[in-house]
Amino acid sequence: MPADTLLLPALDPMPIPGPPWLFHALWLVTFAIHVVGVNVVLGSSILGTIASLDRDRTFGRGVARFFAEVNTWAISLTITFGIAPLLFLQVLHGRLFYSATVILAPAWLGLLLLLMAAYYLTYRAKYRLRAGKGAAVHLGLSALLFLGVAAIQVVVHLLSVQPGRWEGVLASPWTALSDRSFLPRFLHFVLAGITLAGILLAWVSVRRVPEEGARAEASARAGFGVKIALLATLLQLVDGLWLTISVPREVLLGLMRGGAATMLPLTLGIAAGFGLLVFLARVRDPIADRTSVRRSLELFGLAMVLMLVTRHQLRDLYIAAASAHAAPATTGQWGVFAIFLGCFVLCTALAIVAVVRSVRDRPGPGEATA
Amino acid sequence: MDYPIREFAMGGGVLIAVVAILHVVVSHFAVGGGLVMAILETAAVKRNDRPLRDLVKRSSMILLLLSTVFGAISGVGIWFTIGVVHPAATSSLIHTFVWAWATEWTFFLLEVVTALAWVATWGKVSPRTHLLLIWLYAFAAFMSLVVIQGILGFMLTPGSYPRTFSFWDGFLNPTYLPGILFRTGACVLLAAAWIAFAALREPDRDARARLSRILGAAGALGIGVAGIGWFVWERALPDSVQRLFLGEKPLIAALATGRSHTLRMFAVAAVLALLVLVLPKLQSWPVAILALLAGAGILAGYERVREGVRKPFVIAEQMFSNGVLVSEIDRLNEEGILSKAAWATKEAGGRPVPLGEAVFRAECASCHTRDGYLGIRKIASAMDAEFAAMFLTAMRDDGANWKARAAGKDVKPDYAFMPPFVGTDEELNALARWLASLNAAQVAEATHAR
Repeated sequence: MPADTLLLPALDPMPIPGPPWLFHALWLVTFAIHVVGVNVVLGSSILGTIASLDRDRTFGRGVARFFAEVNTWAISLTITFGIAPLLFLQVLHGRLFYSATVILAPAWLGLLLLLMAAYYLTYRAKYRLRAGKGAAVHLGLSALLFLGVAAIQVVVHLLSVQPGRWEGVLASPWTALSDRSFLPRFLHFVLAGITLAGILLAWVSVRRVPEEGARAEASARAGFGVKIALLATLLQLVDGLWLTISVPREVLLGLMRGGAATMLPLTLGIAAGFGLLVFLARVRDPIADRTSVRRSLELFGLAMVLMLVTRHQLRDLYIAAASAHAAPATTGQWGVFAIFLGCFVLCTALAIVAVVRSVRDRPGPGEATA
Repeated sequence: MDYPIREFAMGGGVLIAVVAILHVVVSHFAVGGGLVMAILETAAVKRNDRPLRDLVKRSSMILLLLSTVFGAISGVGIWFTIGVVHPAATSSLIHTFVWAWATEWTFFLLEVVTALAWVATWGKVSPRTHLLLIWLYAFAAFMSLVVIQGILGFMLTPGSYPRTFSFWDGFLNPTYLPGILFRTGACVLLAAAWIAFAALREPDRDARARLSRILGAAGALGIGVAGIGWFVWERALPDSVQRLFLGEKPLIAALATGRSHTLRMFAVAAVLALLVLVLPKLQSWPVAILALLAGAGILAGYERVREGVRKPFVIAEQMFSNGVLVSEIDRLNEEGILSKAAWATKEAGGRPVPLGEAVFRAECASCHTRDGYLGIRKIASAMDAEFAAMFLTAMRDDGANWKARAAGKDVKPDYAFMPPFVGTDEELNALARWLASLNAAQVAEATHAR
């Protein structure tokens, strides 16, 4: 649809306070950190639920407790790390983002309630599991709610980059789900989450050689994590193909014609995915083959970063295909940017100091504790 | 404004207010809680004061939950809500202040990490490390307030920004420092009020009274600082707004009333804090609940008044609450409001929207609902089409006053809390007819009854 027939809001006349490349770079970096958290939260809630249904109650509840403990931290950090990319997204594509959120306002605002309920359920599950009680229902519900949050995010994203669909979705909101690439894209996220949570469980279980009495349990946990991650990665490869063919033709052609800039990250990302599969398949005894477990985690990180670059490029291609690209006016606020950078370095350094001191400072016998 | 339009049954403004007030109360507790708990824990360590240490420990989990769970989600919630209700204003603010928000985010990041670490390390690390964690938290939380106040103050008193477009002119606006002073006091007051509940769970009666006295002193200090902040803040507002507080415009008496209620809350909170300070054994659950409500009431009242005096702007002297810019009044009078608000003719569900209703959606729906908050049907109940057209014409003429005022002239618009009507004659008459039609059924009924 030509741009002049789209109901596209005019570009904000206020200039953006820096060059677009800077916002793109910051967006990508902060979004990558946020997505790690998203994957951990989503995957942990799903695997926690699966584990808590295990027939071996001791094993299942132990794994479920691990994921519930991880998630109470991960949710906070994921939300916090989500704020920065949300800011930079609005600077670059505010008119697309706001329009999509207004059109899907009930779901978009409802997402907050889902998030809050899921967070609450995770805390309940953690304390139930600490008390030796089951928490399958709490974890299961929280997993469903997090899946709902993920689905809403995917729908809003897809709608924001396709202004040609706005009018139709406003008239009939459920058609937002009819986007051909919605389901494979959603599954892409879910499977990535399951993979990461599985590898994380395996890595935490065997990162140090467990003591003799704890060997069997550590091995069982790591084995569970590796198997799930292997299965999810296999499915991911199929889903990746489905996602590729479900992308609109002109967007796919744009990706193909982008040369090394677009094809290199995609190709390397797929290669990293295959590499991940190989490393996971090689793990027979996770304790003996701790290196493969660690390599799997590293490869997952690499594949994720490369896929995020592709995702970023796809967004631009979608927008270009809708003729919705526009170059905003820019201005410099370099002094304020320097303050931001200084505060970022300072706060990150202080946060690292806080974590390191919290982990390392263990008073000896007879010494005072807080 | 040329964004899609979403009408909320409760009104967009009310929706923002509900989310914002919840967030504001919690986030101020998160800031004040950091400061108060850092001081209390330091005192507990220095004096080896077990009951004081236990008080801080008992309060720490609620600080964590409110700060990193509810505070974080409701903070994002405000963002989501203003983006949906006022997308143009949000975009404009983002373009101006993104680095300020990003800076605030860095402090929030530190706040979350230190809060999690602080709560998780009770009984595990040395007191020195634990104190480091809570002081880092207090520093980060307070700095996030220092940054965000620049943007909040800008929306009400942009200072010389509309002429210079300088970030610092907007950020260090006339209500920046008074706002920080007020909010700091409110933070301490709310923290003292929250922690008072944990003090009531102290089993030893004498220790309970001592802890209550300490918190009473903190509350009284908070009220004092917030009171000075409020006083200075009022004086930093434009004269026209200060006159409204004195009831200059009876039609908008709610603002003066809101201010009076807030000042009464101050008095209640002050009496309760002093009572607990002087007679700490009188501290009890009802007193603590009342003190908390009074503290929250002060903050909610401040936010209500702040939002109220900003009307009809969403960004003072630049953008009206319906997204119309002062700078585009003339153009829209010529080309029509629907030249900017094409989405006003599209409604969720795909129903065709008549011209008059589309104009209402474009210009009025950001504040008025049909039958709920500021319901237009009730407001227009005494209007026929001719009267409505006369009224709207007067409002359109008021646009010249708003332009003159934005240009720095000492002009008082006739409708001080309403954006001017902008649009062509055809749009004006269509809106007038639509407003009259809202009550057509009742008018017919009344005529028939006669």
